[in-house]
Amino acid sequence: MEERDLPRFVEWLADRDVTRWLAAMGEPPTLEDEREWYERRREDPESVMWSIETLDGQLAGTVELRLTPRAKRAEMGIAIQDKALWSQGLGTDSVRLVLTYAFEDLRLNRVELTTDEENTRAVRCYQKCGFVREGLLRQHRLIDGRFGNTLLMALLREEWLVSSEQG
Amino acid sequence: MGARQASNLEGAAVRLRAVEESDLPLLVRWINDPDVRHWLHHSDRPDATVESVRGRFGLTVERFPNLVWMIETIEERPVGHVGLLQVDPHHKRAELAISIGEKECWSRGYGTDAIRTVLRHGFEDLGLRRVDLHTDADNARGIRCYEKCGFVREGVMRKRRLRYGKPLDMVLMAVLRDEWQVDSEQ
Repeated sequence: MEERDLPRFVEWLADRDVTRWLAAMGEPPTLEDEREWYERRREDPESVMWSIETLDGQLAGTVELRLTPRAKRAEMGIAIQDKALWSQGLGTDSVRLVLTYAFEDLRLNRVELTTDEENTRAVRCYQKCGFVREGLLRQHRLIDGRFGNTLLMALLREEWLVSSEQG
Repeated sequence: MGARQASNLEGAAVRLRAVEESDLPLLVRWINDPDVRHWLHHSDRPDATVESVRGRFGLTVERFPNLVWMIETIEERPVGHVGLLQVDPHHKRAELAISIGEKECWSRGYGTDAIRTVLRHGFEDLGLRRVDLHTDADNARGIRCYEKCGFVREGVMRKRRLRYGKPLDMVLMAVLRDEWQVDSEQ
């Protein structure tokens, strides 16, 4: 990720169609907010963050691993923020690349994530990448005045090894 | 923000008061006790120090406040601590953390009373809708206590942490205000 990516993120994060599915979103960030966020992440040794680009260099979104090294686990967060690029497999491909990095390079035991239970497109993508449902956090998020559930999913190292051999 | 927001609370067997800077050495002693630490999520961290625990006990400013109380017996003996962590005013939720650091005070109902007191405060005074926690899957005493206080299992997080280097499952539990009202009326 580079600083020049930030204005596009700001533009996308003002779009309700995009932020509807994001866990941590409050008010849409300004460019200044986004700069601060970027600097904090860059200095955070427990965060690994990438910008996602198409092969022809078009910025599409972000993917992050938040590490807990003492537990050999990480939490993954991904968003294809350019909605014109949804449903083209960019998310699935990004998740797979980051999983390879997490399990092969970082030697993690576990990668977990949470997602809005109603985000069926994301859930399908995560299942395709091998993630397994582990739990349902009831009334976990308030969206548009209504409490919705959050799904907890995880992929273990041994599961990933089996699925990547069958690849 | 921080500990100043944790107001004093009275339970049946315990009273809760905000953690102060001067409590930190005692909290550190408890955390570093191997029998206590066995059940804590940071058994594989280096030993705690006053510096390393300051943020955890609500003494620094965070985006979402950690409200942490000392658990004291009616005779004002400190026996442990309980917290509502990451209190999120938008989603109206928080995470519960508790530890009875004085081992000889285990299994006397102090934890149950402290949790009930904190839940009442969270749901009635802070307007929370949901309080959740995660605990080691083999922590039968803890899970029994949480169930008694109204928590239900929501999932199992496989191999979520290491204890002495070995992977360990954790249970995710939560209590919703709707359920708790029913529970506390009984």
